[in-house]
Amino acid sequence: MIEIKDLAKTFAYDKKEAKQRKKKVITDPREGAGVFHAVRDVSFKCEQGKVLGLLGPNGAGKTTTLRMLSTALEPTAGQILINGHDVTKEPLYAQKLIGFLSGKTGLYHRLTVQENVEYFGRMHGLGKDELASRIDQIFTMLDMHSFAGKRADDLSTGMMQRASIARAVIHDPKVLVFDEPTTGLDVISAKTVLDFIESFKGSDKAVIFSTHHLHEVERLCDDVTLIDLGETKFNGTTAQFAALSDDGNLYDAFLKTVNDKEAA
Amino acid sequence: MWLVYKKELLELVRDKKTLIFSILLPTIIVPLFMFGFIKFASSKAQEVRDKEIKVAVINAESLPDFSDIFSKEKKFELVTLEDSNYEQAIKDEKVDFVLEIPQTIQAPAQSLKQETVALYYKGSSNLDNIAMRRLESALDIYNKNQRKALGDKFGLSNDNVVAFTKPIAIDKNNFASKREKSGEAIGSFIAYILILLAVSGAMYPALELGVGEKERGTLETLLLTPMKKWQIVVAKFGVIFTTSFLSIVMVLASYFIWSLILGFGAMLKSMGAGDVIESISGMDMFLIGSMLLPVTAIFAALMLIASIYAKNMKEAQAYMSPIMMFAFFPVLIALLPGMELNWKTAMVPITNVSLAMKDLLKGTIDYGLLGMIFFSTLIIAGVLLYFTTQFFKKESVLFRS
Repeated sequence: MIEIKDLAKTFAYDKKEAKQRKKKVITDPREGAGVFHAVRDVSFKCEQGKVLGLLGPNGAGKTTTLRMLSTALEPTAGQILINGHDVTKEPLYAQKLIGFLSGKTGLYHRLTVQENVEYFGRMHGLGKDELASRIDQIFTMLDMHSFAGKRADDLSTGMMQRASIARAVIHDPKVLVFDEPTTGLDVISAKTVLDFIESFKGSDKAVIFSTHHLHEVERLCDDVTLIDLGETKFNGTTAQFAALSDDGNLYDAFLKTVNDKEAA
Repeated sequence: MWLVYKKELLELVRDKKTLIFSILLPTIIVPLFMFGFIKFASSKAQEVRDKEIKVAVINAESLPDFSDIFSKEKKFELVTLEDSNYEQAIKDEKVDFVLEIPQTIQAPAQSLKQETVALYYKGSSNLDNIAMRRLESALDIYNKNQRKALGDKFGLSNDNVVAFTKPIAIDKNNFASKREKSGEAIGSFIAYILILLAVSGAMYPALELGVGEKERGTLETLLLTPMKKWQIVVAKFGVIFTTSFLSIVMVLASYFIWSLILGFGAMLKSMGAGDVIESISGMDMFLIGSMLLPVTAIFAALMLIASIYAKNMKEAQAYMSPIMMFAFFPVLIALLPGMELNWKTAMVPITNVSLAMKDLLKGTIDYGLLGMIFFSTLIIAGVLLYFTTQFFKKESVLFRS
């Protein structure tokens, strides 16, 4: 289980940027004196066997939150706990347990798909036999055997995304974080990715799934967390989230939650 | 760490750009171009040395023996000009030199004074200088004959004439060995080339392993692996250092092989490098290589810092330009006349290495100073590597946008 408590992240502007911002009229509540509070107060929980949908408009603070979760960024305040272990204090422990995939996590273009996945598997300490068995299992699930020997720079977008997913899950992580994994994919590739994520439902893994596609949330997510302007706006089940709208659809619930906050 | 090192090295080897810029260009294309240029220049010089120089002597009848030297000397052709526009005749390449003898002239041995002959020519290049030297040495024959005739006139022996011409002859006894003399001439230049190679060799892999990873999004992937950041930095540094040092070795080996293939050994000897090359020992080579190690490490660390800090390739290249300057200035200082390795110059980083390499080539190195320079340079490299690891931990650097 992964639990995020009162998470915050503040970035300092460089001197030039801070000077320019002083001259502007600022309405964003996240702007401070020479700093930007990208994440102000985010809390949610994702349990084993469940898929949590992380929603929010562009610039809401989702990616920053996920980067903190993956240990790439250190929180300014708050806690991230995986099975009770503080990620900030034990980053190596967390890195072994987390599988992270975002639009920004790339592959090495001059290595083949197989070499890429092997490299990250070995980085996570997998032995030769275990690695071979995991690769065979994942490549079968994601239908990747046909292009395993291709260099990453020769792959289509769909192949690249499946290879990236294989890279993210090679070490059999207990917490999986997918940041917009279907963006830019065709229908068939997107289905393969979504089927793969769905296969973790009811397993020993907790899955955090950030997306802008609400039909994917409807299909996959047990719970929903909505973030906007760096704050948690909603935490609950997908059904509870849908119930926020008059006719029970996620699209209206999303707009209502965001608009309510803006009106406030 | 070893895993990252091997992976980075494999990726660099598979990169066509790396192969072209780090191997093909410095080891094949540049040497071929350079040797081709030298060959062309030397063949042009030889052409001028061998060519028949056309000389026109105006009023030759006034000083008959004078024009005779050009008839007797090989590779000179006496030509006759139809008009007095010497400039046009030279420009039209009808003649190379025009010597105009005054009509009232007498041979100096008769007039007993110095006479003047006007010379018209067009000299602007080094090749023209070669032709001029050939003409002057031909004219010296006439002067020598005149000196002898003057001596006879005044009842002077040959020794008396020589004493008149050059009262004191200097018998030079230089205690500097040939190696020292040629080492002084080419030592700084070789050090300059080696340090230049260390800097340029680090540049491309640093771009790939730092900002290249940022641009491709693989840096963030790498940061998510259970590996300490300092280990990632040391692995990347190791790859840059290895490729940079190997590129120096490969470039030197390629120049050696090309000079053998193209027969430039004799040319190197004629340039004065022969004595250095013949007298340099395996130990000297080892020490020069050892001095290059910490220098290469310094530039590998500096290039990696610039590359990690930059947002994109363009910015990284902008940061790397001052680093190149930082490398060149201390080496240029070492090239200044009179710069010698002593306890003062040994305190100036990079300059000290350059001077030490020169002394190693000259065979005059002070081993105490050499050790001090090696360890001080190594410490600088270590500090820079430590700084790079600290730099790599900063979010503001890794996620700078």
